[in-house]
Amino acid sequence: MAPTAQPTILSPSELSYLYTSLSLNPPIRPDARSPTSFRPLVAETDLLPTANGSARLCFADGTEAIVGVKGEVERTGGVGKQIGIREDDVEMGGIEGEEGTGGAGGEDWWVEVTVDMPGQRDDDAMVVFLAQMIHEGLVADGGLRARLVINRRWHWRLYIDILLLSPPHTYPLPLLSLTAHLALLSTCLPAPVAGLEKDDDPIFNDDWDAAIPLYPSTPPSSKAKANLSAARPPITLLVISVGDNIFFDPSHAELAVADAVVAVTVASSPSSTDDLNLLAVRTIDPPSRLSSSAAEMGQAVEEGAWKPKKGGMSRTVLRKMVGMCVARGGVGEEVLGGLEGFT
Amino acid sequence: MDRRRVNGPPGGTTPPCYASTSSGKTHPSSKRTRGANEIRKIFLKTGLTPSASGSAYFELETPPTNHSNSLTNRTPALKLTCTVHGPRPLPRSAPFSPQLLLSTRVKFAPFAARQRRGYIPDSSERDLAAHLETALRGVLIGERWPKSGVDVVITVLEGEEDCPWHALAAGNQNGRTGGWGMMSILSGCITVASAALTDAGIDCVDVVIGGVAAIVRQPAAPAQLVLDPCPSDHEEIIAACVIGYLQSRDEVTETWAKGNITASSDGMGTTPMGFDALVDQAVEAAVAARRVLVEAIREGTEAKIQGSQIDFHAIGAALNIKENAARMRFYRLRKAIEEGEPGATPTKAATTPTKRKKDQANSDEGSAKKVKDEEVVDEAEGGEEGEGN
Repeated sequence: MAPTAQPTILSPSELSYLYTSLSLNPPIRPDARSPTSFRPLVAETDLLPTANGSARLCFADGTEAIVGVKGEVERTGGVGKQIGIREDDVEMGGIEGEEGTGGAGGEDWWVEVTVDMPGQRDDDAMVVFLAQMIHEGLVADGGLRARLVINRRWHWRLYIDILLLSPPHTYPLPLLSLTAHLALLSTCLPAPVAGLEKDDDPIFNDDWDAAIPLYPSTPPSSKAKANLSAARPPITLLVISVGDNIFFDPSHAELAVADAVVAVTVASSPSSTDDLNLLAVRTIDPPSRLSSSAAEMGQAVEEGAWKPKKGGMSRTVLRKMVGMCVARGGVGEEVLGGLEGFT
Repeated sequence: MDRRRVNGPPGGTTPPCYASTSSGKTHPSSKRTRGANEIRKIFLKTGLTPSASGSAYFELETPPTNHSNSLTNRTPALKLTCTVHGPRPLPRSAPFSPQLLLSTRVKFAPFAARQRRGYIPDSSERDLAAHLETALRGVLIGERWPKSGVDVVITVLEGEEDCPWHALAAGNQNGRTGGWGMMSILSGCITVASAALTDAGIDCVDVVIGGVAAIVRQPAAPAQLVLDPCPSDHEEIIAACVIGYLQSRDEVTETWAKGNITASSDGMGTTPMGFDALVDQAVEAAVAARRVLVEAIREGTEAKIQGSQIDFHAIGAALNIKENAARMRFYRLRKAIEEGEPGATPTKAATTPTKRKKDQANSDEGSAKKVKDEEVVDEAEGGEEGEGN
């Protein structure tokens, strides 16, 4: 999988300069940011009139994405999509399950994430990888799935369609994840007026103003404790390490010299004193291994020329990266707080 | 509406599915019989596909069950076969590549699980392939093969399922989420691909081994950290982590963790179960699997050496030494390599005659080289070997 569409155009000595300045203590980033600061971004929500929720996000480097969230009501049993036998069929046989699949907490496939990138095929490894990663984070804690249950026989099916508008200059994961986060925050589902009992057909209020937000801004007091943990959709942060230093929101040039790239998915935690909830961690192939200088410098390491590191990353660095994301008062919390301002 | 024929019911029908005659509660659900820090036994063998340049077969032990007469109670097994094709030249139309292009493919056989899989890879299979590529790219010394590519193809002959069949039939999934079985499969894929790459003689900085650990919870017990979880053994899996581990460098090329990781440390008190512990346990699992991998590679190489007949008489004649002396040098060299000490690279005196021997009997040199490949991961050493390939 090639994380970046085009290989880096930097020369070996430029890469070496970049690597050295990033591995200094304190590090110097090309745009003079601190290691944990993000580039400015522009966002708007609720821009698509025909979607249940939508958002547009624009990063400072010109990459831009639109996300539309659509919901559909679907029968929970019926023709099994993945498993042939479901609750309905069991009841036919006379065995009453005290709690059906619908009542339990939903299924992963009720949330469907698709990613579309210009110039990439649908089955391209990067597109699949991105969609899976975002989906994994959304369903990891079960909070979103549980919200989609209407009653025992009906549930919402959520389609999250992510459209990258600009060519993929940098690895677009944080952009897509943050846009999906904003779109989900702005998503409203029609309010049911009847049929919430065991297995009636639900009837919905057709007044859009009465629609219920998928992620209510203030959790209902009755079940505050249970719902607070998933009160916000998760976000995925891209973290790189260069030498001993760790950087957030890497630019294209910084990605080109990264020793290791890790995607960390975090969500807000129930209590305000704990760390954030860690939902998923994935390593990503650093693009430096694909650059042409990786081969040219292979024979002898010259002074002033940089050669990507072989092997993997040490566990200490991995721990430090994850720790910085989830720590109370750390980067993850700051980003979640910043995104709150958009809605 | 066709009025001339008997029409089916409007609106379509669903095929009848019959509930199982026995309720889920009568089945004793499968339980983990091994300890928390014990992994399942692994069968690994290299070189089973003669047409590929490297291949390996991987199987996880299936513990015998006392109610094996019922189809619904079969314990899930994991069987993987991996073939490596290449390094081979890229087609003329391909753009210049300064290093070895790795392409990975993971495919479930249509009969791998109870639910039939199609022939076109679905997104979970492509996702596995992307993970595998990340794990392998870090260890390949790619710049030794410019303008060439290597394909790693893994077929899952039998794949683990997420939960036992009778639990599905009874509908008590307890909100279980899918995908935990994938993590064991990925770990197996990493290990088997590593064995096949070594069998193909492709230079790597180390062998990369897969390991899985998970935080599981039984209904009336506190959460527990286990190595190598089998999804059907556990009532609830809270979080799991796969890693691709390089033991000699103590590095990780691939990490894939998911689940509610930090939250599970709540209320534990005595044993912390955060992300750090999960990674450490996954490393433990990988270290345990490495012994199997190294043994399999050694066996595969020995089989190759036995298979090749060495004409010591001709070598002796070429080197102007006696036949017995040539034989002795060969075995001394082989023993030095097999001792497995990193410093046991052949001394200069021993290397020189072997180099010359290569002209006469290139077959045996080829096999001896394989031993070196896995034992000695020094880059400089591998450089001269790469030319011979």
